[in-house]
Amino acid sequence: MSISIEKHKKTFVVTRFDPDKDEVPKTQTYEVPCQDDWKVLDALNFIKDEIDPTLSYRWSCRMEVCGSCGMSVNGEPKLTCKDPIKSYGDTIEVAPLANFPVVRDLVIEFDGFMEKFQSVKPWIIRAKEKAAEEGTYRQTPAELDEFKQFSMCINCMLCYAACPVVANEPEFLGPAAITLGHRYNSDSRDEGAAERNQVFRGEGTVFSCSYANECSEVCPKDVDPAAAVNQAKFNAVIDWATSLVLPRGSK
Amino acid sequence: MRPDVPAHPHAMQPSKPGSTRTAPPMRPAKFPAGGNYLRYMLFDATGIVYMLAGLVALGIVWQLGNGEAAWAAQMQRLSNPIYVLFHLVCLASVIFVGVRFFSLFPKAQPPRIGPAKPPPAVVFFVGLYGAWIGITALLVAVLAGGIF
Repeated sequence: MSISIEKHKKTFVVTRFDPDKDEVPKTQTYEVPCQDDWKVLDALNFIKDEIDPTLSYRWSCRMEVCGSCGMSVNGEPKLTCKDPIKSYGDTIEVAPLANFPVVRDLVIEFDGFMEKFQSVKPWIIRAKEKAAEEGTYRQTPAELDEFKQFSMCINCMLCYAACPVVANEPEFLGPAAITLGHRYNSDSRDEGAAERNQVFRGEGTVFSCSYANECSEVCPKDVDPAAAVNQAKFNAVIDWATSLVLPRGSK
Repeated sequence: MRPDVPAHPHAMQPSKPGSTRTAPPMRPAKFPAGGNYLRYMLFDATGIVYMLAGLVALGIVWQLGNGEAAWAAQMQRLSNPIYVLFHLVCLASVIFVGVRFFSLFPKAQPPRIGPAKPPPAVVFFVGLYGAWIGITALLVAVLAGGIF
């Protein structure tokens, strides 16, 4: 018995940019015989394997974990390994994520993101580390609940591509970096909130957010960065007020 | 789809340029009037309506200081259809901003308020909408002469 797989031809309009030849990005059209159960990434892989091996884009895990394959599909930031072909019509436009410089075709430059990411110190900060023989740091389920949602971020950068503030203010830390900083500030094992809140109170940080909520609309992992950013605003204000009142600041 | 519009040229640029030339960043394709952005832009645009409402209010206060005749003339002007339309726009703006603010407010709460966790979102909704309806009813009662 043979299994017949139904295929439908769809037109992919893909942004191309070769930094050695092109002044500005252009588009190229591909006709792709798509299976109904394909994701957008499957179609790009078909193009790469069968039609045009010069097409460049990032992908890795194909299971919504690595966050590499974020692209703009019909104008919306999408994780292409999660984005089903059947949710679109006969023509699908694929472009690099908005708000990022483009290195080649669908590949964006994310060094700027990594700098913002590191500036919030996304690791556990302890005033004094416990010796190994004293055992692990323990945490109750309620303490875990306070930050678990925000730790689900996969750094796919879709939130940056959707954010209108990122498009206008280059110094804005952006949703994912603030979310991660807030995640560590909310972790009962961490003692670095005062350091991070100093970063949060600087120029282009939490208070640049105008709560458009687009970051949360496009987040493929339901992290809700808008909630994290606005909770971080509240905490940064409390931290600042405490630093005025208490003799040793908020430390 | 509309043609690409450039974002700020330094948006998401690293502090040191890389070795490869890059194409400049583009704005989100649906900004400012497509998808959810329209709701956000309308929300921000209501600031203009509030500014105009403030100017109208200042004008009314000014006329109040110019005597009874000026006040009566001002009241007469307020019955002009343009003023009525403006106040309907103000009402629509307030309702729109209130609904949007109330929908976003609960999730902006910190994980803890003092020792306690914030109440569930439904409590915020009931409290906020309840306060809104209660204060509106009180104002209507005052304006209708039912109180004072």
